[in-house]
Amino acid sequence: MPRLLAPSDRPLALLILALALLALLILIGPVIVVLVTSFTTSQALRFPPPGLTLRWYEALFDPARSAQIHKAAGNSLLVAVTVAAFSTGLATAASLGIVRARARWARAAEGVFMAPLVLPGIAYGLATLMFFSWLRLPPSFWLLVAGHAMIATPFALRTVGASAAGLDTTLLDASASLGASPWRTFRRVVLPLIMPGVAAGAFLAFISSLDNVPVSLFLGSAENDMLPIRMWGMMESSLDVRVAAASGVLVAVAFLLLVVMDRTVGLVRRMAG
Amino acid sequence: MTTLNRRALLGAGLGAAALPFLPRAAYAAGSVTGAVYPGGWDEALRAVLTPALKQAHNVDASYEPLFAVDQIAKARASRGVAPFDVFVLDPGPRVQGIDLNLYEPFDASKLSNRAKLPSGYADQYGAGVAAQVVGIAYNPKKLPKPAGWRDLFKPEYASRLGLTGFGTTFGTVSLIEMAKVFGGSETDVEPLFTELRKILPQVAAVAQPAAMPGLFQQGQIDVMYTNTYTVSLLKSRGVDIEFALPETGGVAFGTTMHIAKGAKNMEQAYQYIDTMISTGVQSGLAQAPFFFVPVNTEVTPGPDVPMRSIADLSKFVTHDWAKINPLRARWIDRFNREMAK
Amino acid sequence: MDERGAWRLALPLAVAQILFFLAPLLILAATSFATDENLVAFSHQAWADVVADGFNLRATWNTLRLGGLTVIATVVLAVPLALLHLAAGPGLKKVILLAAVLPLLTSVVVRTFSWIAILGREGVINNVLVGTGITAGPVPLLQTEHGLILALTQIEMPLMLLPLIASMGRIDPALLDASAALGASLFRTLRKVVLPMALPGLLAGATLVFASAATAFISQSVIGGGRLAYLPYLVWQQAMVVFNWPLAAALALTLMVSVIIVVLALSALGRKIADA
Repeated sequence: MPRLLAPSDRPLALLILALALLALLILIGPVIVVLVTSFTTSQALRFPPPGLTLRWYEALFDPARSAQIHKAAGNSLLVAVTVAAFSTGLATAASLGIVRARARWARAAEGVFMAPLVLPGIAYGLATLMFFSWLRLPPSFWLLVAGHAMIATPFALRTVGASAAGLDTTLLDASASLGASPWRTFRRVVLPLIMPGVAAGAFLAFISSLDNVPVSLFLGSAENDMLPIRMWGMMESSLDVRVAAASGVLVAVAFLLLVVMDRTVGLVRRMAG
Repeated sequence: MTTLNRRALLGAGLGAAALPFLPRAAYAAGSVTGAVYPGGWDEALRAVLTPALKQAHNVDASYEPLFAVDQIAKARASRGVAPFDVFVLDPGPRVQGIDLNLYEPFDASKLSNRAKLPSGYADQYGAGVAAQVVGIAYNPKKLPKPAGWRDLFKPEYASRLGLTGFGTTFGTVSLIEMAKVFGGSETDVEPLFTELRKILPQVAAVAQPAAMPGLFQQGQIDVMYTNTYTVSLLKSRGVDIEFALPETGGVAFGTTMHIAKGAKNMEQAYQYIDTMISTGVQSGLAQAPFFFVPVNTEVTPGPDVPMRSIADLSKFVTHDWAKINPLRARWIDRFNREMAK
Repeated sequence: MDERGAWRLALPLAVAQILFFLAPLLILAATSFATDENLVAFSHQAWADVVADGFNLRATWNTLRLGGLTVIATVVLAVPLALLHLAAGPGLKKVILLAAVLPLLTSVVVRTFSWIAILGREGVINNVLVGTGITAGPVPLLQTEHGLILALTQIEMPLMLLPLIASMGRIDPALLDASAALGASLFRTLRKVVLPMALPGLLAGATLVFASAATAFISQSVIGGGRLAYLPYLVWQQAMVVFNWPLAAALALTLMVSVIIVVLALSALGRKIADA
């Protein structure tokens, strides 16, 4: 925006500024509400809290009282890490294929690969339940991974794809002409160049799986209890304040991870890209 | 046997790969998975039944929080591969499960505590483990005690009322009782819809059953229909809430446990149910803050339970679920439509 | 990795998508034409129920309308914030980006709870309104369409903001200075210079926000409540409470197809603008 505003421009500039500040308030306000609630002294989720205490965090970390939450968190983390690994692997290979191929199919394929991003999650979640039920497959860890991965892969594809598009293909040809195997070229030349995109993609796939509701809703089970579903149950039916404490922990961990990833691979910029 | 082959092939591949990731409890000789109602039941069973079962049989219990109808849906969706070992059901879904052949035949002689149950509380399908009483919950700081279902339709209550549909047993029986007040019956809820239409513009909230406690606690609603377990749970959380038995009588029904067809942990499932009806667990559940209605004849109900003994069940309003079940899907749909703006 | 063999690299993802994405959707479609969940006998009863029933059609319309209104609300707020980002120094830029990402890091379940606390009868907004005397009593926000849209605006805004910031980032600052130096008003600069550059991001954001808001099951049912009928809840209810799988599948496909139509329309619009 130009530094100097003509007097006649001021009302519009002020309007823009006011709306921007409102946007910031709407973005940040609810997160603050949750964080403050997690320190409440009351017995149930309630805002504003009558007093502040750390005891819900204590209760949350207590292995005896919160075994169920710990198990769900463990399940969710395990699924999310596995999903991130698969999604990033599939997305990296596919991105390199699309970049190398100049054919028309590549563009079309990219569109198809991104499709899960805009399809309604609840329809897909139901579809997975019907599909696996038809195959007589009981709910399991790997079915959850498969379902989550389908939704998470487009996120990885976007960041890896952007990195891969910037690859100088002459570099790859040079490596090949010097007798390097494709795998060696990938390890030594390609991967270092696209690493920031891959790392950002893995992070986004991880977050997408960690927060997935529609697939977990249909494919989750007592054995594979997922954190968001468990938190939803605790929040709705018993107003358990540990849910707010758990989100406090999640926000803190994710925020830390975000700052680290941003320092190392410029994550935020990549998410915007 | 084509389905079996398909299952064997795909299942073996995916299942074997999943083994290292299964929680360790799944390997241990003693573990069992029970479905449990979300909220009060979930907390109570984890607090009382889990340690008792561990102590008595060295069995680890895990729970899947699901309303009764959702348990039936999950079991149907998994087509013979039991999603959990033990159901906990209200009468309506219980009948549905029998019709759909979702239970293993139940051998009541395997229960060491069978003699402590009133006669008729264990049959070839399962065993009774508790009773539920449904009535009106209200905020005593905001509203006077309602006398009965009819009061909910008066402006001062209607404007603070939270409505939920036929998706749960407590919702269904409450709505039926309201219909009866206005001239309807167990099989005719039409008069209810006529009355609901009149108060609908003022009603404070219409929500899913699981959302009701949250809305009550946040002050969005101050009166709702629910069971005594929800009231006890909210009270223990410091919420201003009291239970009122309607003048036309509270609604009561038994809660039963059943072993799922193809349950993986058959022996542990019996131990789970047996421990559930044991004197120790039943008296633990009957006390604060849970206030379960005990079925064990050696246990007396806690002070907050509107029933002095399980024999009192006959003094409450009960329903014929064989008649209600076939109508329920249509009522659920009808409720959606009537509520929609 | 020659050009002709490149397709092999895309093969694993293609196979995975066919097995775990396409196949389930085909079963969903097949179920919608079955008489029950066993997929043995077939009929078009479920589709007849969807099409002939005004209630289901209204729920479809409500769902699309909710997506559309959420898109409008996020545009109204995200565009000014993206402009502020464009004009801001490096420090403020970072703050805006972090604020944009923050909601993505908070579990959707928790975001929904915080909106109950904000929108409720005794919630934050009503406390402010009644406390300052702006309104005499609490105004209904929870269980209303506008309350739901407000909550969805926060939940979905990152999906609009991030692509918008990215496409505005490609604007050459010299261009803006030149426009101002030539005496163009701020409005004219925004319209002639910024808007055309921001459009691809705006359309990408609109697509993502629309698709996500239309299927936001938890927010719709918890914040919207039982009086607002949206397809995702009906899908879930038919599948898990009533256990009418053919109807659940038909409703799920109705949701999917109507979202896809809007998404395709948006991308066609994008191409048309790009060509023009």
